[in-house]
Amino acid sequence: MNFLKLFDSLAERSTRGVAQRSGRRGFLVGVSKVLVASAFVLPVLPFDRTVQAAGKPAPKKEPTDTDCDYWRYCSVDGFLCSCCGGTMTTCPPGTTPSAVSWVGTCHNPADGRDYLVSYNDCCGRTTCGRCGCNTNIRERAGYRLGVHNDINWCMANQSSLYHCTVSVIVGLEEGQS
Amino acid sequence: MQKKKKLIALLVLAGLASGTAIGEPRRPPPLPEEEIKVERLAPADGNRLYVVDPAFGHMVDGRTHVLDGKSGRFLGMIGTGFGSLMLPSKDGRSLYQVTTYYPRLSRGQRTDVVEIHDTQTLALKGEIDIPPRRAQSISYRGMLATSADGRFLYIQNATPATSVGIVDLVAGKFVAEVQTPGCWSIQAWQQGYRFSAICGDGTLLTVTLDEAGQAKSRERSAPFFDPDKDPIFIHPEIVGDERYFVSYNGNVYKVGLAGEAPRFEAPWSLLDQADRKRNWRPGGLQISALHRASGTFFVNMHDKGAEGTHKNPSKEIWAVDLQSRKRLARIASNQSISVAVSQGAEPLLYGLSHDGKVQVRRVAPGYPVLRDIAGIGETPMFMEVN
Repeated sequence: MNFLKLFDSLAERSTRGVAQRSGRRGFLVGVSKVLVASAFVLPVLPFDRTVQAAGKPAPKKEPTDTDCDYWRYCSVDGFLCSCCGGTMTTCPPGTTPSAVSWVGTCHNPADGRDYLVSYNDCCGRTTCGRCGCNTNIRERAGYRLGVHNDINWCMANQSSLYHCTVSVIVGLEEGQS
Repeated sequence: MQKKKKLIALLVLAGLASGTAIGEPRRPPPLPEEEIKVERLAPADGNRLYVVDPAFGHMVDGRTHVLDGKSGRFLGMIGTGFGSLMLPSKDGRSLYQVTTYYPRLSRGQRTDVVEIHDTQTLALKGEIDIPPRRAQSISYRGMLATSADGRFLYIQNATPATSVGIVDLVAGKFVAEVQTPGCWSIQAWQQGYRFSAICGDGTLLTVTLDEAGQAKSRERSAPFFDPDKDPIFIHPEIVGDERYFVSYNGNVYKVGLAGEAPRFEAPWSLLDQADRKRNWRPGGLQISALHRASGTFFVNMHDKGAEGTHKNPSKEIWAVDLQSRKRLARIASNQSISVAVSQGAEPLLYGLSHDGKVQVRRVAPGYPVLRDIAGIGETPMFMEVN
């Protein structure tokens, strides 16, 4: 669910996280001018952006499916299922995919395309609590509910308890091939 | 038996006496016996803070923390279930929590309920069942609202089709559901049973209810903002009939909710040219606060803003005079995500950071820090001060 406003002040101050973010900046310029966060496997965004200025040297590590700044997580607000027993596209055992979802538009630096990404929640267990991310590229308030992530997208499931979020490619952005 | 006891007592006394004789200080009289009582809160004095914490790491167990913002004392807690919405009543005597439960914690039949908590005893004093459609949203102001006379509670629903549930608090029952497709948040009018909702095409939908809480009219305004170019935060500041909204780009939209239809004023910017150059923008969750008597508007601001930074914590809290539209102060922030201000002659400004700290400042020249209150829950997000 997408309440996330992350808390992890330890991770927030992780210089490693700062360094990583700085290093990946180049990848993200095409998407938007903002850094999409990541503090290693530890969560935390957007709170850690304030420490970016530290300007540590950048390690050469590509973001992976457990990093908040992996490209398809550009509008996630919640716990990555990749860290919770699932993957980017599968829910952890014992949970149920959400019947409804919000959608992000994320730029894949590997092929230069913008993809529509469906952020489905996995439901029926209390929150996973691992790899919390809060990226908000093109996220909007609830009057644009389909791109809103401050609401529980398990809302229509038999058990609406939120556990974690998957990021499933559902197509290319309009006008792209 | 009696004699034996007396003998022992005498021996003990003798022992004590000899102890005293060799220079040990005399012991004070024993402490009185005690009995357990339960605290009762003093009536709220304008600096009672309610801090909503959905406990994001284990959401079945959310809570609202109750603090005295002035003394910094933690006063108590209300357990609020899964992703609760919170609103203090108009008279300050009750706290409404609109929440969700499952009988076996994570399974069974979903129950949504309005809980009414007493703000002096923090005891549950009533509950009203509602259909299981309330928005499981973070507790933005505007997810819940009461009618001006306090009779109706309006509840934002999402299934994800959007509607507003109407609860009659006097009769203690759910009475109606009003469809509000494509519109979000509840802006209750000060007159009658009427509310407006912000819609995805930049218009305002205004619904008027009859005495029974049923919708009797629905009006759509002309667009008053462009959701593509200058989306607004739904968090309102409320002064009588007036509402102030802030946009992602730092524009202030004033809306009048009185008379026959909403009135809109042209937006104005919080930013000057230098601010724009550094991309200062509003951000966070509860992005503004208003001291009504002085018209001082506080906005949670960060620099280096860009697409996607609209929930960033603040670097500064800006104080702006609503009349002159001039900035009065740039206040260093504790990376707050949410801000609130108390009313009255000696107001206090509250900044809530994501790690559970509330920084309290006096609203006075220099905005001196009165105190930091730490350890307020795990993932606190919203505050109301009463």
